[in-house]
Amino acid sequence: MKFGIGNVRLPNVKPPSMLRDRSMPKLLVMIGLGWLSLFFIIPVIVLLFESFNFGDGALLDNYRQALSGTYVRTLGRTLAYAFVTTVVCLILGYWISYYIAFKAEHKTLMLAFVLLPLWIAIIIRYFGVSLFFLPTGPVQQLFGTDFGILFSTTGTIIGLTSALLPFATLPIYNALQSIDEEYIHASQVLGATPLKTLRTVIFPLSLSGIIAGALFVYILAAGSFLAPAILGGPGDFMMANIIEQSFSYSIPLAAALSVVFTVALLILIGIFNHYANISEVLSDL
Amino acid sequence: MLEVKNLTKYYGDLLAVDDVSFRIEEGKFATLLGPSGCGKSTTLHAIAGLIDASSGSVHLRGKDVSDVPPYERNIGLVFQHSALFPHMTVEENLRYGLKMQGFDGDHEAQIEKYLEMVQMLDHADHKPDELSGGQQRRISFARALVYEPDILLLDEPLTGLDRVLREDMRNEIRAIQQEVDVTTLHVTHDQSEALSMSDDVIVMSEGKKEQAGAPAELYDEPATEFVAEFLGQSTKFQGQLAETSSPVVQTESTEIHVGDDTDSSQVDPDDVSVYVRPEEIDVHQAARTNGNINVFTGSISHIEYLGHRAELEVDLDDGTTVTAFSRTSQELAVGDDVTVQFDPDEVIVL
Repeated sequence: MKFGIGNVRLPNVKPPSMLRDRSMPKLLVMIGLGWLSLFFIIPVIVLLFESFNFGDGALLDNYRQALSGTYVRTLGRTLAYAFVTTVVCLILGYWISYYIAFKAEHKTLMLAFVLLPLWIAIIIRYFGVSLFFLPTGPVQQLFGTDFGILFSTTGTIIGLTSALLPFATLPIYNALQSIDEEYIHASQVLGATPLKTLRTVIFPLSLSGIIAGALFVYILAAGSFLAPAILGGPGDFMMANIIEQSFSYSIPLAAALSVVFTVALLILIGIFNHYANISEVLSDL
Repeated sequence: MLEVKNLTKYYGDLLAVDDVSFRIEEGKFATLLGPSGCGKSTTLHAIAGLIDASSGSVHLRGKDVSDVPPYERNIGLVFQHSALFPHMTVEENLRYGLKMQGFDGDHEAQIEKYLEMVQMLDHADHKPDELSGGQQRRISFARALVYEPDILLLDEPLTGLDRVLREDMRNEIRAIQQEVDVTTLHVTHDQSEALSMSDDVIVMSEGKKEQAGAPAELYDEPATEFVAEFLGQSTKFQGQLAETSSPVVQTESTEIHVGDDTDSSQVDPDDVSVYVRPEEIDVHQAARTNGNINVFTGSISHIEYLGHRAELEVDLDDGTTVTAFSRTSQELAVGDDVTVQFDPDEVIVL
């Protein structure tokens, strides 16, 4: 077989010797695996090891403490805040995506606005939100009250929602965008009002985007450290804050809290996966 | 039954449909035929209410529905790619229309009746993606008909099917349409589909209606050059009409006798097109001729063997290429010198 154009033969180029070497791909895989082991797998094993008590007292003493009183309440609060944030983000995200996908004229511009916040460091966005609700801020000036939003649960949720909204909007937009217009036309011709079309056709066909968005937002919100620290009150501490705090005086407790938190999240994702096939949804993205 | 009056649609500055009017009588099967981009789909979508016309009106059963939303028009529409809802089973797809239209009567019996009609009763519990392309089309017909709409619209419903299946489906669609006795408007770019299925054909080109009529009428008596060229094959001669003892069209190199009934007031005598259908042309071995009107000599440049007949291309001595059919029993070969002849009364003069 001759390669080339007409009678011109292309020179026989050999790949550099490094790439022809059969051991090369293996080496590259080793580097990746090595990196992953060194900075992820080994630390997790160390963490797990640290969380057990090998000194005086019972082996699971740290876990007993991590599962008691204030720590359990914090875990519950964390999961609840993440849930509320997810619900708010999904509602707002669906509304925005629906508008961009079906109504907006300048889709690219609108999408850029959705993505814009991601270019700004999260801490700056939280300070922005706090400035907004500060006694000298625009809300106070406009309404004569700050509604007690700053340093409260509401403040935390508002912060989380504003920071995580793009993670709900993008997958939902992607799902809405890929719905064939023929389905919407079919539904209308078959007698469905626009609202019924939304409920019976558009919504079910965008479920994969909703599931993906829910997953992203929930995991990111549950792990949030800055929102409760900057916008929440003393009673709004979430797991990340508690773990960070306890790290300074009891590494074993911090380790046990981390394990409890991670396991709790994994269980929740497992339950979620039982109702919605996550791997199928993620492969749609 | 359906009447479209002066329908016009602009997309920005682009004129997609230009003052189109036509009507379809109760129970008839009509086809909008034209090349892609001629405005036929836009017309269909305007009838369904899926796009707003720039001007003009659509009347269903005597009622102006121009401002009625699609979900209140009681129309059945079969889409190009079937558009069955992927998240519903076949049965649920049919039930959807019955529910949304608020159909009075036994929903289960309707579903069963229409699935039976398209021979898909065994597949009621399947999801659309478990069915073949042909099966999906059948279901989408059942879905469009199950709630007994006033009119059935077909938007190139056979697109993407293979040739054998298309031909089967044509007959089946026609049979179902007559069984249900539903007024139908079909949109297609496929002339053989249009001619074989329809009671009436409306030919469109560049947003305008060219001609409407029964298939045979359009084929035998096209009103415009576009219709003559778009429907079927033909050989075209151009020239000036001259009145001698009988009407003759003078081309650059020869003269063509045309029918005595040719009306010089209907055509521009200085620019006349003459079309001859291939089946009207007799091709003989050079030696044999039959009279001397419209007899030309040439040689065969191409033969396409089609089984039941052969399609011949004959290069005449003056350079014109003539397309003719011949029965394959005639022993003709490429390069043979032949005589070509046709009857003046069978030519189309425009």
